[in-house]
Amino acid sequence: MQNVDPALPPRLQEIINLFQNLPEEEKRELLIAYSDRSGECSPREGETFTLSDIRKDQECTDSVGVFLKTDSENRLLFRMSLGSHVQTLTRAMACILCQGLAGSTAEEVMAVPSGFVPKIVGTELVRQRSQTTYYILARMKSACRQLVAEQRRANLASSTP
Amino acid sequence: MKTYSHPEALVETAWLADHLQDPGIRIVESNEDVLLYDTGHIPGAVHIDWRADLNDPWIRDYISPDQFAALCRRNGISETTTCLFYGDKSNWWACYALWAFRLYGHDRVKILNGGRDKWMREGRPMVREKPSYAEVPYAVPTSRHDKEIRAFYDEVRAFLKTDGPLIDVRSPGEFTGELLHMPEYPQEGALRGGHIPGAKSVPWKTAVREDGTFKSADELARIYEEGCGLSADQEAIVYCRIGERSSHTWFVLSYLLGHKKVRNYDGSWTEWGNRVGAPIQRP
Repeated sequence: MQNVDPALPPRLQEIINLFQNLPEEEKRELLIAYSDRSGECSPREGETFTLSDIRKDQECTDSVGVFLKTDSENRLLFRMSLGSHVQTLTRAMACILCQGLAGSTAEEVMAVPSGFVPKIVGTELVRQRSQTTYYILARMKSACRQLVAEQRRANLASSTP
Repeated sequence: MKTYSHPEALVETAWLADHLQDPGIRIVESNEDVLLYDTGHIPGAVHIDWRADLNDPWIRDYISPDQFAALCRRNGISETTTCLFYGDKSNWWACYALWAFRLYGHDRVKILNGGRDKWMREGRPMVREKPSYAEVPYAVPTSRHDKEIRAFYDEVRAFLKTDGPLIDVRSPGEFTGELLHMPEYPQEGALRGGHIPGAKSVPWKTAVREDGTFKSADELARIYEEGCGLSADQEAIVYCRIGERSSHTWFVLSYLLGHKKVRNYDGSWTEWGNRVGAPIQRP
C-alpha cells in the first residue's frame, strides 16, 4: 500500500510509488537509470524560458542551471543543465523532479515538502556529502519564488495608472 | 630541477593502462559521489567508500583494525598488495582512503595522477561490471598509526603553543569566515566561521594543475617550502572541514615533497568551529 501525500503533485507521487517499495539495490539501479536519462531534461536548442537561474557553487559542485517556462494557465515546464561533475544522485533527482513537477504551478512546487526524498533515494544514500538531492528541489523552489515575485511586480506595474 | 621525493607513489594513467591485469595491484576507487562507481569504473577496480567502509558508524572515528583487515580480505587485498587509489574531485577521497590505509600500516599505496577525470578524458575504458576477487588472508593490524599521521583536537591545541605551522586547505571564503558551510552542504556547517589561530591559508587546489594532476616538485616546493616556510623535518598539521581535502595536501607534503612529520587533523573545522572553548581567528 502506498502513502499518498496530498501536497505532492500526482506525477511526482507516481515516481515515489515506483521507488518506495524497492529494495535498496534496485533503488540504486533505478536512480542510476534516471541519472543516465538526465540529459533529456536539458534545454533544447532555440528554446526560450520565462526564467533562467544558472549557478556554480564554489568547490562543491559543477554548475546547475534551472530553466522554467509557463503556459497560459501558469503551469510550469522545467529544464535543467547539469555540469559534468554534478553528482549522480543530483542528476537522478533533477530528472525525477523535471518529470514529477511538470505541469505544476509555481505555488504547488513551492509547497512540495522535502520529506519524500528519502523514499526515493533510500536511507543509506542520504548522508553527509550526498544531500545534494535536496539541493535540486531547493533550487527549483527558489526559481519558482523568483518567478512569482517577478509576476507580482509585473502585475503591479500594469495595474498602476 | 627537483623531483618528487616518492615518485613511486604516483602513477600516470598510461602506466595504469598497462598494469590493469597486474596481480600485485588492487585498483581502488573512492569518491564523494556515492553512486559514481556504479555508473562506471576502471576495469578491475573495487569500490571503497569513505563513509560506509572506512568510518565507524557509531563513533566519529575510523573502523577498528579487525574491520580493516576484513575490508581488505573481501576486496582481495593482502598485506603485500599495492593499492592504487583514484577517484572524483581531483582525488580528494582517494587521498583520504590512502591516508586511512596508512593508519593501519598498509604502506604499499599509490595515487593515480589526475584521478578518474583524467582517465575518462583520455577515453580510457570504463566498465559497470563489478569485479569479484577471492578472499585473501590479511592479518589484523596490531595497532593504528594515529600518532604518526593523525592529529587530534588536544594535540592541535598543544601544537599552537609551539607556533608550528598549521595549514588550512579550505577555500578562502571558509578561511576568512565568510562561509560557515558550502552552499550544497548545509549539514557541515559550523557555529562559527574563521580559522584556527595562526593557520596559513593554502587551498588544496594550489597543489594541482587545471587538469587535476599534481604540480611539479619545484612548483610545490615554491608553494609550501618557500611560501609557507615548511621543511622536510619540521612538524606540520593540515586541516580542512572533515579531513578529505587535507588528506590531499597531506599526500602532497608527505609523498611528493618528502616531509616526514605531517599530520592530518581530520576533526578539522567541523570539530574546531563547533567546539566549546576553541579559539578562532578571523582576518
